[in-house]
Amino acid sequence: MAYKQTSNSVSRWSKILLRYRPHPGEWAWLLHRVSGIALTGYLFLHIWALRGLTTGRSAFEAEMNLFTTPFFKFLEWALFAFVIFHSMNGLRVAIVDLASKNASKQKALLRIVYTVGIAAMIFMGVLIFLNPFGEKTVENPSTTSTGQVQPQ
Amino acid sequence: MEKLSKQSAFAWYFQRITGILLVVFAVGHYLMVHWNERAGHSFDISVDRLSSPIFVFLYLGFIVLGMYHGVQGLWNVIRDFNLPRPVYLTTMALLVLAALYFTYLGFDTVLTVDTWKLRP
Repeated sequence: MAYKQTSNSVSRWSKILLRYRPHPGEWAWLLHRVSGIALTGYLFLHIWALRGLTTGRSAFEAEMNLFTTPFFKFLEWALFAFVIFHSMNGLRVAIVDLASKNASKQKALLRIVYTVGIAAMIFMGVLIFLNPFGEKTVENPSTTSTGQVQPQ
Repeated sequence: MEKLSKQSAFAWYFQRITGILLVVFAVGHYLMVHWNERAGHSFDISVDRLSSPIFVFLYLGFIVLGMYHGVQGLWNVIRDFNLPRPVYLTTMALLVLAALYFTYLGFDTVLTVDTWKLRP
């Protein structure tokens, strides 16, 4: 009996929740917040990672060799997704906020955000994974993965 | 109350201005540093880039603007959770301290990295 009542209650709430149709702008708002939190965290991490520039060539190159592995390339590409969405959507928010006559165009602007974002993701994916405009990073043979210099 | 609303209006406006400047910087950064694999991952290229006063100025500006924009954005998110005041104040204090520490680290990196050119 209690099970049936609970089941009916869940079913009723599920129907109410499934009836909810989020506005496209709601998803953009949520994604903007999530990507903003991630990018602020990444800014801290990026500054930390670049400390290698002050500790010397071998430590920096060992770190960069790690960052050019396929797994980190994928992370770099995922990071770019956050960057491009947050940038494009941020411009949309600024355009709408700074000129109220643009408020009626916010849906069209959101379509531009997604279109340009997907195109930029494809372009960046080509640059990151295929590296068509340059040579590969030359690995320093005298450097180990821990950044220690091997005796010649 | 009047003072608070002026501060909020300034924060709201400046968040948009810093955001636009950061987009311009991000486009330049990606075109310059990520157009090929070596441009962003070579020690020599990175040190050369940070030996230029223009790039030093740009990157210091990026650190300041990025930190301001990021912390202000997190501030907005945390405020929306309507946390108890002591929790809110402690969280914000930790966030500001972290931002100041990482700003110092970033400045130290940008301002000292070109000395590697003088080392063997």
